[in-house]
Amino acid sequence: MDVTRRHFIQISGATAAGLAVSGLGFDLRPVKAHAQMLKTKYAKETISICPYCAVGCGVIVHTSKKGDGRVINIEGDPDHVINRGSLCSKGASLAQLTENDQRVTQPMYRAPYAKEWKKVSWDWALTEIAKRVKDTRDSSFTFKNAKGQVVNHTTAIASVGSAAMDNEECWIYQALMRALGLVYIEHQARI
Amino acid sequence: MTNHWIDIKNSDCILIMGSNAAENHPISFKYVTAAQADGATLISVDPRFTRTSSKADVYAPIRSGTDIAFLGGMIKYIIDKKLYHQEYVTNYTNAAFIVGKKFSFKDGLFSGYSAKNRKYDKSTWAFDMDKNGVPKMDRSLKNSRSVFQLLKKHYSRYNTKLVSEITGTPEKDLENIYKIYAETGKVGKAGTIMYAMGWTQHTVGTQNIRTMAMIQLLLGNMGVAGGGVNALRGESNVQGSTDHCLLWHIWPGYLRTPRSADSSLAVYNKNYTPVSKDPLSANWWQNYPKYSVSMLKSFFGERADSSNDFGYSWLPKVDDGKAYSWLDLFDAMYNGEIKGFFAWGQNPACSGANANKNRQGMANLDWMVNTNIFENETGSFWKGPGMDPTKIKTEVFFLPACVSVEKDGSITNSGRWMQWRYQGPKPLGNSLPDGQIIMDLGNKIKELYTKQPGAFKEPIANLKWDYLADGAYDPHLVAKEINGYFLRDVTVRGTDFKAGTLVPSFAFLQADGSTSSGNWLYCNSYTEKGNMAARRGQKDAPNDIGLYPEFSWCWPVNRRIIYNRASVDPKGQPWDKANWVIRWTGSKWEGDVPDGGWPPLLSADGKPDPKSKHAFIMRKHGHAQIFGPGLNDGPFPEHYEPLECPVEKNFMNAQRMNPTAPVYGGKADEWATCDPRYPYVATTYRVVEHWQTGVMTRYQPYLLEMQPQMFVEMSKELAELRGIKNGERVMVSSLRGKVEATAIVTARFKPFPVGGGTVHQVGLPWHFGWIKPENGREDSANLLTPNTGDANTRIPETKAFMVNVTKV
Amino acid sequence: MSMSFLVDTTLCTACRGCQVACKQWHGLPAEETTNRGSYQNPADLSFDTYKLVRMKEEVIDGQMRWLFFPDQCRHCLEPPCKDTAGEESAIFTDISSGAVIYTANTKGLNIADIKESCPYNIPREGADGTLAKCDMCLDRVQNGLQPACVKTCPTGAMNFGRREEILALANRHLAAAKKKFPKAQLLDPGDVRVIFLTAYEPKYYHEYAIASGGSFDVTRHVALRRMLRPLAGPISLLR
Repeated sequence: MDVTRRHFIQISGATAAGLAVSGLGFDLRPVKAHAQMLKTKYAKETISICPYCAVGCGVIVHTSKKGDGRVINIEGDPDHVINRGSLCSKGASLAQLTENDQRVTQPMYRAPYAKEWKKVSWDWALTEIAKRVKDTRDSSFTFKNAKGQVVNHTTAIASVGSAAMDNEECWIYQALMRALGLVYIEHQARI
Repeated sequence: MTNHWIDIKNSDCILIMGSNAAENHPISFKYVTAAQADGATLISVDPRFTRTSSKADVYAPIRSGTDIAFLGGMIKYIIDKKLYHQEYVTNYTNAAFIVGKKFSFKDGLFSGYSAKNRKYDKSTWAFDMDKNGVPKMDRSLKNSRSVFQLLKKHYSRYNTKLVSEITGTPEKDLENIYKIYAETGKVGKAGTIMYAMGWTQHTVGTQNIRTMAMIQLLLGNMGVAGGGVNALRGESNVQGSTDHCLLWHIWPGYLRTPRSADSSLAVYNKNYTPVSKDPLSANWWQNYPKYSVSMLKSFFGERADSSNDFGYSWLPKVDDGKAYSWLDLFDAMYNGEIKGFFAWGQNPACSGANANKNRQGMANLDWMVNTNIFENETGSFWKGPGMDPTKIKTEVFFLPACVSVEKDGSITNSGRWMQWRYQGPKPLGNSLPDGQIIMDLGNKIKELYTKQPGAFKEPIANLKWDYLADGAYDPHLVAKEINGYFLRDVTVRGTDFKAGTLVPSFAFLQADGSTSSGNWLYCNSYTEKGNMAARRGQKDAPNDIGLYPEFSWCWPVNRRIIYNRASVDPKGQPWDKANWVIRWTGSKWEGDVPDGGWPPLLSADGKPDPKSKHAFIMRKHGHAQIFGPGLNDGPFPEHYEPLECPVEKNFMNAQRMNPTAPVYGGKADEWATCDPRYPYVATTYRVVEHWQTGVMTRYQPYLLEMQPQMFVEMSKELAELRGIKNGERVMVSSLRGKVEATAIVTARFKPFPVGGGTVHQVGLPWHFGWIKPENGREDSANLLTPNTGDANTRIPETKAFMVNVTKV
Repeated sequence: MSMSFLVDTTLCTACRGCQVACKQWHGLPAEETTNRGSYQNPADLSFDTYKLVRMKEEVIDGQMRWLFFPDQCRHCLEPPCKDTAGEESAIFTDISSGAVIYTANTKGLNIADIKESCPYNIPREGADGTLAKCDMCLDRVQNGLQPACVKTCPTGAMNFGRREEILALANRHLAAAKKKFPKAQLLDPGDVRVIFLTAYEPKYYHEYAIASGGSFDVTRHVALRRMLRPLAGPISLLR
């Protein structure tokens, strides 16, 4: 019979069942002292809501108070009455979404027929976008339709997005798009 | 959701159909599990056995696109066995209304159909009115023209044998599920439905949901704890973004986008303000002008006044009869009609049906603005598969947004809870909050129009745009604007309000320009008492049903369960004595915020109270609609096959597909039904490890580790037929495109017996795209999906279409 | 204080929050994986993966079942790995919790023997020659927090607490589970601090779900041990 030590638990469990568990208190202070240090101990704590599905789970964000001031941990908020501290795999990966070296952190521009992006400044990007918006809007603006009814719109500019924005951002976004005269305004709720 | 997440625990029977909550709304299972521990039955109906099914007490398979047949059979079962909640149905629904004699249904078509226009003349579906202009009723439900009798007749065809032939669901499973779910028709029992895109993404999407809503009404499950019709919304703020109407057809608060015929504010308000002659109907939408004028005041501030129609003409009108929805937008882009495009926090190169068409359309643009956290298939479409950058002129501006934990602001969950978030770290690098980008862009455009001549400057110049504090976007300023202010010192309902103070609730909004409110539904969310969305009170309702009225805030007016006037009998006493939501003490309501403070329909001695109102206050006639004469495809849901389907004919009626669904006829819009080249039904879905097109999950190594590649799930039977082994790479193709995937051969998918033959089905996630992972071979399932849509919403039919599967 | 886990697989939805929360808290790297025709990934526990939700499809009594098993170190009451190592600076039991802790000093020990000694096939060797596995989130536990996997679990599948409370909870969960699953059982409850509750025989879930599992014959000693212990009954072996 091929007895292997994978079975030791069974055997030792049987023989040790009546033994007291004293005598295990080895002094391993260096190891334990290291283990007891919580990485979140000196972090700033803020609360947020998970950005994935619409259950609306609360999370606690631990941000370093030192150095680069970046996130060191995100986990469920136990005082949130919906999730009570729990998070699924996506929610549990939030720190990795935030601290991700593949995030784009500078505006980029792709010129006509270019094969690459190039980095640009915010001011340049927004100035140029504003010009494109104005040019396209002005050249396409429809005051009246074929029936002679007032429409005051442009169908040459369209917008999609976004359920990923906050309520306040959604409101100003739609206000701007509608003020520009867009009618092609759609987002995730349609698909 | 008419109810909310925690409320699921109060249910006696949970039907998960058209969704996969365990995988896509995982924390909902905290409450599904709690309900099960309390004795509730969990039913899972899905084309394949999912992680949700793994926890279900009862599972049944269904062929994609046949939900109305399945649910229509349940309606027949409930009526035949008299399991409906008689008192509820009689008093709170339009079951007693008498339908006019013009209404008929024959060969799969309702009266008033025009084949040329693919449209109905809905006037043939009108109710008979009495001399006062109130619908005629027969509360005995016996009149042959009553909604109840017409309903019974309509679904008499939906016997389990026929339903089983269509759905592929075994008859014994149908009967078992009908029996279990219909138990919730007993007074005091509650059943709930958790559905999502599995129901909406069909040519009959709206009617899928309506069929279930009708069942919920028949069983008395609307308005009660543990009941309701619950759409599990898929994005953290898709509820809020819908409420604020980033959609072509509606303005914030579900006001209508004006049509070209709405020539003035007065005409507009008249056209969309319903009128009821019934003194017992609250007809809440009669307040429409208060909401539209208050919204215009938020748009244009002091520049809007009665002399200029509050700026009504400054906002764009849509042409009558024309649609500008997602499919139409990309059709116009494909045809070169759109020059400039904002893809803001969205990735249509992967998320849109028939994604190849969208990707090609992008090459026709002059310019695109793509705001996102990560590089994605939309902003970088010009270097994607099959694209030659040297031939694509489109300029693209990529604007880097920060992530949610790096900013303050609120989002609204599926249960309508508006919750405030706080900034942790600062935005990474030079990324910015979307709000900052929008404000800065708006100011750039305003500046340009100030300096230079331009077309129709008024709306741009007059747009109220004061949401910066020291140059920084301030979400509190916007949140207050959305709630609304008193703009003059006024006295409303006997209370004095000072100009500049926040409006306490929408009941105080006015149509004379004295109030503003960016979105009437959110009026009450940020008041003089503070930011209600930031509340963290832990106190529950007295009977611990999970309302938590002091935690965050929910629309409307912090009402946690809407339609709650239907949770009580006509005397105001709860159907469910333990899990009651509201109840009448004899002088007032207690519990949740009631749907209006009016007394119950009957006083304690059983006499009608003239001061009362009917239960469903948002409906013109105060009654929930079992007969729905407003929809494009008929007042009763009827089974039609998807645009692409595996059967030559519809076994239920003479119309193969929804006769009113939009069909596009261009070169890029091909479809193939019963085509031997594409013999297998396909559907799309999501997995817990990824989210939407994967832009916010494919970059996380932890998530990619768990689900690294595009896959296609199929039955062992189909795999054998096609000579495919588990784990092999295969090609899935439709008439519109193809996508490579790893085969997951599983017993969780089974062939369907349909109409005497065998139908195979496969399923694919739509989380992938060529840009990440870097091998470039994991792409979107939407390369396969057809661009037709629901007859009412035009949501694309991405849940049922036809494909082939071949070995690579 | 003596701590234990209850892992009620009848409540697990395989959302895999535990698998990610574990990696996130420990700062462990993700592995390069491929889809092998299954949702389960990585394929197995590893030096970088302490917690893994195993998934198996079975037809049991004519019913389709998808069984989830959130595998991890059992933190044995009498850990054979510790006895095998015989080096307290390398493998020891933390007195405050009962956690079995591996340190960098496992390098140079007889790794193969230690791995082989584990009845649950848990320890994994790294490129640096050390061994790694679940550490019960000792830093969290010693600071009054739940282990990351338990904290994140939405359904109550993962539970953690004082051993006597967990044993009582396990018996309550078992009684509830038996109403739906007559063959429900607790796995090795008297021997381990991570007690699994399964709806069916453990063989359906994972080769090493129980100590006597795996490709080994049941030894005489094991048979004897089984006779001494009431099977799946109320547990009284408090530690």
